[in-house]
Amino acid sequence: MAEEKVDVLIIGSGHSGGMAAKILTGKGINCVMLNAGPIADVHKDTEVKPAYTLPYRGFKQPGQLPHVFQSNEFNANTWVDEKEVPYTYDPQKPYNWVRVRLFGGRSLFWSRQSFRLSDYEFKGKSHDGYGDDWPISLADLGPYYARVEAIFRVTGHADGLPQYPDGNFVVDDAPWTVAMQRFRDAGKKMSVPVCKARSSVGVNGLASSVNLLLPDAFETGKMKAIPNVVVRELSVDKNTGLVNEVHFVDRLSHREMSIKARVVVLAAGTLESTRLLLNSKIANSSGVLGHYLTDQIYGAGVTCSVPEARNGKSNSTLMGGGALIPRFRNIESKHPKFLRGYALNIFSSTGGMDPRNFAAYGAELEEKLDTYHGSGFHTGIMGEVLPRYENQVSIDKEAVDAWNIPALRIDTKYTDNEHDMARDAVDTSVAMAEAAGFEVLVKNYNVNPPGYSIHELGTCRMGDDPKTSVLNKWNQSHDIKNLLVVDASSFVSGGWQNPTMTILALSMRASEHLAEEMRKGNV
Amino acid sequence: MQRRDFVKAMIAATATARAAAGQQTAPPVAQKLPPAAPKAPGPVPWSRGLLDVKPLPMTPLVPDAVAETNAHFFTDTQMAALRRLGEIFMPPAKGYPGATEAAAPEFLDFLIGASPEDRRQMYQSGLDRLEAESKQKFSISFAQASAAQADQLIRPWLRPWMNDHPPAEQYALFINTAHMDLRTATVNSQAWADAARAAGKQVPDVDLYWYPVDPDLRREAASRRSSVN
Repeated sequence: MAEEKVDVLIIGSGHSGGMAAKILTGKGINCVMLNAGPIADVHKDTEVKPAYTLPYRGFKQPGQLPHVFQSNEFNANTWVDEKEVPYTYDPQKPYNWVRVRLFGGRSLFWSRQSFRLSDYEFKGKSHDGYGDDWPISLADLGPYYARVEAIFRVTGHADGLPQYPDGNFVVDDAPWTVAMQRFRDAGKKMSVPVCKARSSVGVNGLASSVNLLLPDAFETGKMKAIPNVVVRELSVDKNTGLVNEVHFVDRLSHREMSIKARVVVLAAGTLESTRLLLNSKIANSSGVLGHYLTDQIYGAGVTCSVPEARNGKSNSTLMGGGALIPRFRNIESKHPKFLRGYALNIFSSTGGMDPRNFAAYGAELEEKLDTYHGSGFHTGIMGEVLPRYENQVSIDKEAVDAWNIPALRIDTKYTDNEHDMARDAVDTSVAMAEAAGFEVLVKNYNVNPPGYSIHELGTCRMGDDPKTSVLNKWNQSHDIKNLLVVDASSFVSGGWQNPTMTILALSMRASEHLAEEMRKGNV
Repeated sequence: MQRRDFVKAMIAATATARAAAGQQTAPPVAQKLPPAAPKAPGPVPWSRGLLDVKPLPMTPLVPDAVAETNAHFFTDTQMAALRRLGEIFMPPAKGYPGATEAAAPEFLDFLIGASPEDRRQMYQSGLDRLEAESKQKFSISFAQASAAQADQLIRPWLRPWMNDHPPAEQYALFINTAHMDLRTATVNSQAWADAARAAGKQVPDVDLYWYPVDPDLRREAASRRSSVN
């Protein structure tokens, strides 16, 4: 016989769901977590293999995962197959929806870049008049960022820049390599700051929900989890207006089941959480559910060679390491062509060059690869995409997934603001590289399709006004007080920053507030 | 006694009484159960002893080690042009095999033949154009073009590019994609790996391969039902 009702039902097991579970169970609250996919066992599910033993010699299986540029033949089985869970879009406006449904979600695979948003993001409208401010500021979220940074062991260096807020770092005082220092010097002359990157070290090389958050939740004895269940719909009690039941499908058997809960915390990932609310036809009195989809532009950048590192002279004093140029446009002055700004990831390598970087073949190419080995220096953009009402998702009634759940239609595109930003990022990279004495081998002005960054944000945004936002500043539905959405769908704007630290801090803050409200009997 | 406990006790007592009554009057329990799963024919269960078997002392062979890929997608002329392109782009060097020795063109015949239509078209029209330009300029098939002649046809279309952003022009896309595909198919071949081992070097492109994790057996059927776009 099933339990009558669980205290809190958490849907999703990635960073946001894992943090909610850790906080709520730590407060003595019983939680049940649902996850759409299986639990991966790396010892059972993987094997180190050379490409020649694979069916496609390391090429992607033709036609498989066409929108997951990050996939290859080795990792293809970790991504959601869009034939199994389809989504639709206008062919003129493609979208790369990159998903993981394994237990732990996308927290299993991420770049570890760990940044705080600044008040240039939280209060963007106040700064430049565009869009909307968040209902919270850096001061509100700062204490939670600090706790998250401690859990994830974020390395970094305090730079004292308001657009690149310092944090609770494992201090990175490593000296700059010669090439990086030259690039820094070039940036200084152009008023472009080149700072240390910030990154989650985690524990034993992993910085995931499955090793940093969920173990604490299970340790309390208050946590239960069900893998392989795909949530179809949330239902609302007509008398109370509260969410009271969650309907799901067993992934393997397709058995339909339901579970009752006092509180539901949605943490399925931005677009899956919004899809679930849209399919449930709830929490949308504002009419903005599904709107203001944003992400970050990636792909534009340059590849250079540091001449002094060629011909076998590369070493770890001269080359290697990374850096970050935080947003520097539209801080003190106003750029004529675009609003907001971008950051640049910088890295150099003592390893081999990509043969694509040379217009050569055969013996000539091999000679280039030998000569240039260890001299690579790269920049890549992470740029803010302006949140726009018309960039939206909705339910496509003509398409369903493998469990007959209506699919999402994604309708979004970049505009001149993003493309002009990318152009400026590449031109700035080239100018700095040339000033540093590097040879620019390739420059690419084109950005990857929307979604590529795997930083889909918004569509369920927070705000003080229930008429223009879906959630309040505690990630709680304006319409349904026992419904929280703690993933990145709550974002009002995205900035240039990898959103992981902000997702974690928001989920921590929302979960602590929820626990207190439950203790008071308000939820 | 609390009311809830009392109700539970009553339910338990009723169940016990029913069970006792059932024992007196019901037919044998075995007749009530679903029919047993049919046993495999034979004197012993089929899976007996498998849990104790020791792994065979064998290393599975990759078929390329002893077999050739049967090329069937490209026409004979296209295939000849692709083979020549492989010789030009990726000749053997420093003890490592070239595209020919690694059977890279034949592998690409399989790979491109299994690919979506736009990729098939890009390769077919690209090889046709290479052949046509060779005949127009040198009056010979591209398969017979010298290295210098091939260079005249190829070099104007070579572009440096970054991952995920190949050249936009269709013919430049073909030339540069074919180059990288031939290169990858060569470097990721067993012949290349054998050469690397012989030279005491690391085999390239060794990585963590993920098997399907608890696959949904209905996935194939679902993918047939569903439509993208």
